[in-house]
Parts: sequence; C-alpha cells; structure tokens
Amino acid sequence: MAEARLGWVEQLGKRTLGLIAEVGYLSALLVESLYWLVAGSFKRQPVRVSAVFSEMMRTGVSAIPIVFLLSFSIGIMLAIQGIHTLRTFGAESQVVIGIALSITREFGPLITGIVVAGRTGSALAARIGTMVVSEEIDALRVMGIQPVRYLVSPVLLAMLVMLPALTVMADFAGLLGGAVYSAMDLGISYAAYADRVISVLKTGDIFQGLSKSCVFATVITLIGVANGFTVTGGAEGVGRATTRSVVLAISGIVIADMVFTWFLNR
Amino acid sequence: MLTPEPQKGNAELVIEVQDLVAHYGRHKVLDGINLTVRAGEIHIIMGGSGSGKSTLLRHLLGLRRLTSGRISLLGQEIEGIHRQALLELRKQIGVSFQGGALLSSMTVGENVTLPLREHTRLDESTMAIMARMKLEVVKLGGFEHFMPAQLSGGMTKRAALARAIVMDPKLLFFDEPSAGLDPVVSAELDELILRLRDAMHMSIVVVTHELESAFRIADRITVLDGGKILISDTVDKVRSSSNSRVQDLLNRRPREEELDADAYLARLTGE
Amino acid sequence: MSFGHRVEKGYAVVELRGDVDLARSPEARALILQCLEKKNDLLVDLSEVAYIDSSGVASLVEGYQMAKKEGLKFGLIGVSEAALNVLRLARLDQVFPIHADLDTRIADDG
Ligand SMILES: Nc1ncnc2c1ncn2[C@@H]1O[C@H](COP(=O)(O)OP(=O)(O)OP(=O)(O)O)[C@@H](O)[C@H]1O
Ligand SMILES: [Mg+2]
Repeated sequence: MAEARLGWVEQLGKRTLGLIAEVGYLSALLVESLYWLVAGSFKRQPVRVSAVFSEMMRTGVSAIPIVFLLSFSIGIMLAIQGIHTLRTFGAESQVVIGIALSITREFGPLITGIVVAGRTGSALAARIGTMVVSEEIDALRVMGIQPVRYLVSPVLLAMLVMLPALTVMADFAGLLGGAVYSAMDLGISYAAYADRVISVLKTGDIFQGLSKSCVFATVITLIGVANGFTVTGGAEGVGRATTRSVVLAISGIVIADMVFTWFLNR
Repeated sequence: MLTPEPQKGNAELVIEVQDLVAHYGRHKVLDGINLTVRAGEIHIIMGGSGSGKSTLLRHLLGLRRLTSGRISLLGQEIEGIHRQALLELRKQIGVSFQGGALLSSMTVGENVTLPLREHTRLDESTMAIMARMKLEVVKLGGFEHFMPAQLSGGMTKRAALARAIVMDPKLLFFDEPSAGLDPVVSAELDELILRLRDAMHMSIVVVTHELESAFRIADRITVLDGGKILISDTVDKVRSSSNSRVQDLLNRRPREEELDADAYLARLTGE
Repeated sequence: MSFGHRVEKGYAVVELRGDVDLARSPEARALILQCLEKKNDLLVDLSEVAYIDSSGVASLVEGYQMAKKEGLKFGLIGVSEAALNVLRLARLDQVFPIHADLDTRIADDG
C-alpha cells in the first residue's frame, strides 16, 4: 500500500537501489567462488574435482545434441538470408564471409549461451533453491562446509570449461549448416567453402567468440545460483526463482553480448 | 569484547546467551534471552508453537545475526568471530535439523561420511567403518546405500542424527527428535540421547514439544513463551513452578484468552 | 606421546596412549595393520588411553577384521570404563574379545 503511494521517481530510485544491491551480491558471489577455486587447496578445503566433472557432464556433454542442431539451423538460415540479400548485388558468392564472421563472432556463442541458460541456469536455481527450502544449505553451513565452495565453485569451473568448448562445436555446426545450403544453392564445393572460411577467419574472430562465452558462463552461473540462494516461500518460491533466473540469464547474456561487441568492434 | 573476560568460572558452560534480542523485520521474536547450558547436560528447550524455539536455535548455530546481546559457544564469542575460528568451532558441533536436511543428491552413507571427508584426513576405510558404526548406533545398519528420498520420516531423523554425531561433537543440537514418530521409536531416540551423553560426554540441546520425553531425559529445561524465557531450571524446579503459564503448558491446558468483543469483531471483519 | 608396541608371550602388543582421536587414530591404525602384516597375533592395550573416539574404534574394527581374514588372534586388554562405554554405543563390546590383561588372555586361550 505504501509502495503504491510512492511517486514514480521514488519507485525508480527503489528499483535502482535494488539493482545495485543485486549486482553487488553477484559480484560478491563471483569473488567468493573464484577465491575458493584458487585458495581452497591451500586452506585444505579444495573444490571437489569429482563435482567439477559431473557438472561438466551435466552442463556440457548432454547439451551437445541440442546446441549442434540449433547452430546447424542458424547456419542454414544465415546462408539463405545472405544469399538472398547478396543476390541483389550479384555478389552471392561472397556469402561465405558473412557466414564465417557472424557465426564465430556472434551466433555460436549466443546460441550456446541461450541453450545453456535455459538448461543449466534454471537447473541451478531449482537445485539450490530446493536446498535452501529443505535447510540443506544451513546444514552445510553448520557442518563447516562453505556452500559457495561446495556448490558454486565446481559449477563455475565446469561452465568456464564447457561453454567455450560447446561454442567451438557450435561454430563448426553453424559453418557446416552454411556449407550445406551454399552447396545446394550455389554449388560451392565443401573444399572451396572450407578454403574460403579459413582464409577469411582470423584467430581474433574465434577468440572474440570464446571470450564472450566465458562471460556468458559467468553470467549464467551467477544468476542461477543467486536466484537459488535467495529463494523464500517454499516450493512456489523455487518455481519463481527458476523462471526468473532463465529470463534474467538470457537478458544478461544478450546485453553483455551487445556491450562486448560494442567495445571490441570500435 | 574489549577486555577478554576471564573464562575460568565459565569453563564448564558450553553455551552462554546474554540479553539476546532478535527480530524478523520489525517483528521482535526473541526478547531478553539469558540462557546457560553446562557441559555434559541434556538441556531441553520447550514452548508453544511460534514461541521462538527454532529462531533461538538458528541463533545458537550462528545462522542469523542478532539485534543485540551476546552468545558464546564452547567459550567462544560468536559475534564477529573469525572465519577460520568459526570453522574449527563448527567441527565440534553436531546438528540434527527438524526435517533432517540430508543432502538429497547423495546416499545416506555419503551424507554421514560427508563431514569426515571434508574435515579429516582419515583413510577411506576408516571413514566407511565410522559411518556404518554411527548408522548402527541409530539402528539404520544396512541403509547406507539408500537415497534420502527412500527413507521414512523417522528414518530420516535418525540418519540426520548419525550425520550429526559422526565427528563425535562436544555439543549436539537436536530439533524435534520425536515429532511425528511412533512412541517406541521416540523412546528409543530418548534412550540414545542419554547414551550419547554418557558415552561421549556430549552436551546436548534438544528442542521438543513432547513433555514425557522432556522429563525423561532432561537435566534442565528452558520454557519459552512469546519470545521470552518463562523459566530455565532443573526438571524438578520446572515441575513445581508456581508460574501459571508454565503449569498450563505442563498440563496441556489450552490458554483461554480474555475475549475483547469489539476487538474480536474487528478482527473477523478485517477492519 | 607416540604409541608403542612390544612382543610378549607370543603376542604383539600395541600400546595406545593418551587421546586416540581424529588426529591420532591414523597412526594407531597404521601400527595395528603393520603388526598384523607381520603375521603376529595381536592384542591392543588400552590401559593408558585417556580418550578414544569413533575413529579410534573404527581402527580397532578394521584391525580385528584383518586379523580374522589372516587367521590371527586379536583382542583388547586394559579397556577402561570410558572406552567400554564408547564400544557399547555401537554394541562392539559384544564383538571384540576383551580381557583384563595379557595373562588372563593367555589363560583363556587355554
Ligand atoms: N522466516 C520468517 N520470517 C518472518 N517471521 C518468522 C520467520 N520464521 C519465524 N517467524 C516468526 O517468528 C516467531 C517464532 O517462530 P519460530 O519458528 O522460532 O517458532 P517455534 O517456537 O519454533 O514454533 P514451532 O514449534 O511451531 O516450530 C513466529 O511468530 C513466527 O511467525
Ligand atoms: Mg520450530
């Protein structure tokens, strides 16, 4: 009731404060999980290697089919649109340049990020949220086990390894999709296509995509985990946190992508 | 905190709470709590629903910040404690949560072994034997490969107890051991609490609703009411207390509130 | 204070002392297993033990199991009331052969 009476300026102020608090919380989470990754083993509290591997399986390996399928489709779409547009200039054979650059710099990391945000981001929020509700997090704490070290650091590490790896695969799948359509429509041979791609691409292009995917990995993990840890209100709260984390993670990825691209290409 | 107090006289106090005040938002839930638990005693915390028992427990475990007052566990001040010191302290404390709070992604055996794996450098075989021993102690021998979801309520509670005592803690907290258990099992748990104290010299704090169980095992009883302590004394003193609220609670007499007709009407109509 | 062992009247006797707790039970375990590897019948003397926790008891359990596998004799001597309470908690007082001292054990062996 009191809130309704606040003017929009106050509302905006409150929202902004909330946002700043949230960003602050995410940063603290990031610092703490990195701290345990680096300092854990010195303090005789190492991050569990087995957890890192099982997490890599869960977030990475099992996402391969869907990431492949989507990237392949995007490759075909880019080829269709590119050829259609370039045909007006009679330059349709140049389509390979467009495909190669936009896949490696943009679509590979983005598609991978969105798929993983949907799969892992939501799963993280649900898993940790459930643990909060059932007092498992408190139980870890009173056993002297830091929840962030035990639950977050392994996921962050796994994501930082698997997202770039998936992105590389997505790049290949996307380029392959482009190759298939170009071969059908323009009769470009696969060998010629590959030659063209290799001559066009610089290491910087791939690197740009991979560094983006590391940022995405961090954004997805932190948003999923933070939404899990702050669950209140039982099972319903877990549901809310899950939805919220997917929406926020995808928004976070797209915005981070825009910022990143802006600074890298000016 | 400015001057380190001489701990000599309090050496046998495992828990000391002074003037604890705690809030949820603006709502005051604990008010002026003073409480001591002595080494080797079984201390029962009782009180009606919503009287603040669980909240007090969470404060004792260092899971919530206090508004004011001080708490010390095993001679250590909780507020402002260093991270490493808190970790060392927690290795000497076992907690069995009301709902068990077993990690649902691991088997019962892995749950019980977890503190050992995280805090000790024992051999794998020693840890496995210790975990099985504790499961035997709580009469769950052979259930180590079960997942928590496959256990009944009473079994979950006992598994949680096994995990709580696996490091042989000095201080054990047990939230609602017998709630929802059949009388035989809950009597067995009482027996077990007594044996743990006698064999391992644990100091044990139990939160419970069960009067019979409380009188059977307690050395001292603290009764909470509306966030305040009504009485904190030996079983006999509590039994013979002249405080009418205490007697109501002991005799399971429902409290008849004075009915203010106008206020009641206003409550019902939501005005 | 380190743990000791001696050989007497056909038995290797491992003498545990002081606190046998999380910090020191690995040492006790190693000593017990080492004596058993030499194919000695083994008694563990607990008379100097001030405190033994479950990790210490677990080491005894492991030793007993290994002795059984190897067909060696195993037993506890000098078990204090405190230690017995710890064994009783997991009903291990009914499992281990427990004797007052080496001589009663030998008399019992017949
Ligand atoms: N998370 C919370 N947010 C706000 N208020 C709370 C919260 N948890 C408990 N309270 C309030 O604090 C008071 C004490 O609650 P507490 O859970 O400590 O009671 P309790 O004695 O454990 O009751 P019970 O026996 O029913 O478990 C109650 O009035 C309750 O409404
Ligand atoms: Mg409660």
